[in-house]
Amino acid sequence: MAGPGALWEALWALLPRTKEELKLELGEKVEGSVVMLLQEAAELLYGDRRQECLQTCEALLDYSWEKLNTGPWQHVDKGWRQVYSFGCLLKAVCLCAPPGDAASVAAALKACDMGLLMGAAILGDILLKVTAVLQKHLLSGKRPAPSPSQEPLGIKKARNDHVPIPDMTSERTVPRLHCPSLQYFRKHFLDPGRPVILEGVANHWPCMKKWSLEYIQAIAGCRTVPVEVGSRYTDEEWSQTLMTVDEFISKYIGNEPKDIGYLAQHQLFDQIPELKQDISIPDYCCLGAGEEEEITINAWFGPQGTVSPLHQDPQQNFLAQVMGRKYIRLYSPQESEALYPHDTHLLHNTSQVDVENPDVEKFPRFAEAPFLSCILSPGEILFIPVKYWHYVRALDLSFSVSFWWS
Amino acid sequence: MAEERRGAWFGFGFCGFGQALGSGRGRQVHSPEPLRAPGAGLDVCRVSASWSYTALVTREHLLPTPAPGACPAPSLASSPPPAGGGGRVELSGFAVGAAGGCRDAWASEELLVVLRAGPGPGAGTELQAWTPGSALRGEPLWAQTVPEAEREDGPGGDETQAGPLPLLPCARAYVSPRPPFYRPLAPTLRARRLELGAEHALLLDAAGQVFSWGGGRHGQLGHGTLEAEPEPRLLQALQGLTMAEVAAGGWHSLCVSEAGDIYIWGWNESGQLALPTRSLAEDGKTTAEASGLNEDGSEVKTVAGGEDGAPAPFIAVQPFPALLDLPLGSDAVKASCGSRHTAVVTRTGELYTWGWGKYGQLGHKDTTSLDRPCRVKYFVDKQLQVRTVSCGPWNTYVYAVEKEKS
Repeated sequence: MAGPGALWEALWALLPRTKEELKLELGEKVEGSVVMLLQEAAELLYGDRRQECLQTCEALLDYSWEKLNTGPWQHVDKGWRQVYSFGCLLKAVCLCAPPGDAASVAAALKACDMGLLMGAAILGDILLKVTAVLQKHLLSGKRPAPSPSQEPLGIKKARNDHVPIPDMTSERTVPRLHCPSLQYFRKHFLDPGRPVILEGVANHWPCMKKWSLEYIQAIAGCRTVPVEVGSRYTDEEWSQTLMTVDEFISKYIGNEPKDIGYLAQHQLFDQIPELKQDISIPDYCCLGAGEEEEITINAWFGPQGTVSPLHQDPQQNFLAQVMGRKYIRLYSPQESEALYPHDTHLLHNTSQVDVENPDVEKFPRFAEAPFLSCILSPGEILFIPVKYWHYVRALDLSFSVSFWWS
Repeated sequence: MAEERRGAWFGFGFCGFGQALGSGRGRQVHSPEPLRAPGAGLDVCRVSASWSYTALVTREHLLPTPAPGACPAPSLASSPPPAGGGGRVELSGFAVGAAGGCRDAWASEELLVVLRAGPGPGAGTELQAWTPGSALRGEPLWAQTVPEAEREDGPGGDETQAGPLPLLPCARAYVSPRPPFYRPLAPTLRARRLELGAEHALLLDAAGQVFSWGGGRHGQLGHGTLEAEPEPRLLQALQGLTMAEVAAGGWHSLCVSEAGDIYIWGWNESGQLALPTRSLAEDGKTTAEASGLNEDGSEVKTVAGGEDGAPAPFIAVQPFPALLDLPLGSDAVKASCGSRHTAVVTRTGELYTWGWGKYGQLGHKDTTSLDRPCRVKYFVDKQLQVRTVSCGPWNTYVYAVEKEKS
């Protein structure tokens, strides 16, 4: 039985014994003033001056947050993200000081999640270790609350009768193959850039049997994740926000949600490594030039009705369906002009056309553009070639895992 | 004709590095406090505050030491500053030190820039860039002789010539905290004022036109898009209006017309544009739901927005200039922006602040952020007329004079 004292001990077992051993190698972009403040925060923590440490951490977090929001994300210096992670780490530890009530520990877990979402690895991935300790402590005292709607995966049960299942009788469907050899896949699909659905490849992954709303809540319920709110990312009312998985499920997956919420394009498996054990990297990825570590794995978890507008990505994609079904439409890059991409830099990879409700006057060529479509079901993997335009709508409560590789 | 009213500087907001900001008690000051300038009796003509330190530029006049306990109250000198550019720069906070012979200084985390009189008359002015930690001792990181301003110094000081740093006196170039440090401006621009944000630049020209360039991902350029602009681009939306002031925050921009109207654009994540923001709504504090008359004089606001009574939509980014009305129809004369907050001085000597308030930088005796302009009561209560404001990233410095006694 874990008491607050045990939590405190468990955390300190993960930290360096002395503040001198706290390696602050942040690179030359991080100014001396920040390094000094960070050293001060460490001193305060090791000196048991927790309230002051928390105050100092706030300044560090706010300042590095500003750096994280300056310039394109890919250009943000790693040092700033590490400062952010250090701020999160020290803040989380302070919050867990005895008596360490449940609210404080939950706040500490949130701080760690912010570090995992926006920071960069420090002290040998210490934030992952700390979150494991915190989660264990939070769950040890109580049973996970059973979710009101325990929908196991794979059951094709619509929440209501008004699901617009597309009439695909006139549509050309994506070909399906059962466990093709690597060479066959490369010769007929990867090299020529043709979509295909792979069957028999992912259907035995543990996630296919294990994942349900209840399981997800048990493993990840208290973890903070980014959620997109609004019917699609091209809408004016669209926004991104943070909340725990429990909050996401209760607000956007439970009964009668007011808005569409989508846990989309999030590297959940880096944040919660335990879930990674339930999936595998498709063998076909080895046909690419990149390393396995460079493969980006994203989770896509949301209610019936989420829509990803027609867009293209700069890498090859294996989209594995775990829970529920998705209607997917694919257009070749050769048809790009007929898809009327936005002319701004930010959205040049996104079409202006609403695929299932196109404005035929504004976008006359769209109706004639040939396409392939499918309904992707649990256990199946869709290969989306690089730059292939794709549109996705969830027909049920859905969980997909995508693998971007080169 | 010279004014003889006693004026003084005040400061509030973040002072976590011990920078001069009133009493400097603790790390934050939530209500204006008289500035304790390093050394007594200094006539501070400019305040340039970076995140971790503040630079005070003083006119080289020896004034009688004020009685102990009195707030330093230098009077505006009736004679113009020495043409050779006497005056000192005094640093406090993470960077400390002082140097003489300085006409102007500009503080940033990467660089402290000073304008110094060259040795002997006719020797031109030298632009020096120092690392903040150098305490202005030893050699500057970089130095360059710069051409003089074409107009003579007048009693008004900075107002009549090309504006303060980072714009150089000749208006042909400006200083950047990141290399290249010396950046020429096209002579056709006839720059009068220049301000730098985290990723963008704003320029006011002799004809009262506003130009912007740099990063635009938060709408801070005001051209209606989120695209970057490599070169100064005229703000078309302001054509026909004559601007008197420009101010740049971290990711937002503001200008004040000769008539006293405020135009504001860019990022509104903390309400720094005085537009309804989602983050404050979630805390129950957005302007979209404000109602009633506040003591600070802000007008009654029923639910802002549509005729059907629906609350105004939240605005995260405003990519075009928006006209902002101050309460009671007051005219603006001066403005300055911090990282995520805004401060405006009215013709009648009042100070309004709004935006991010976590470190007390709004001066309303608390740490609440606001998405509507609120008057800083301190100056009203003390019968002080605010003359100018200068914001650091997380703090605010104000120069005010005592009201005329009738």
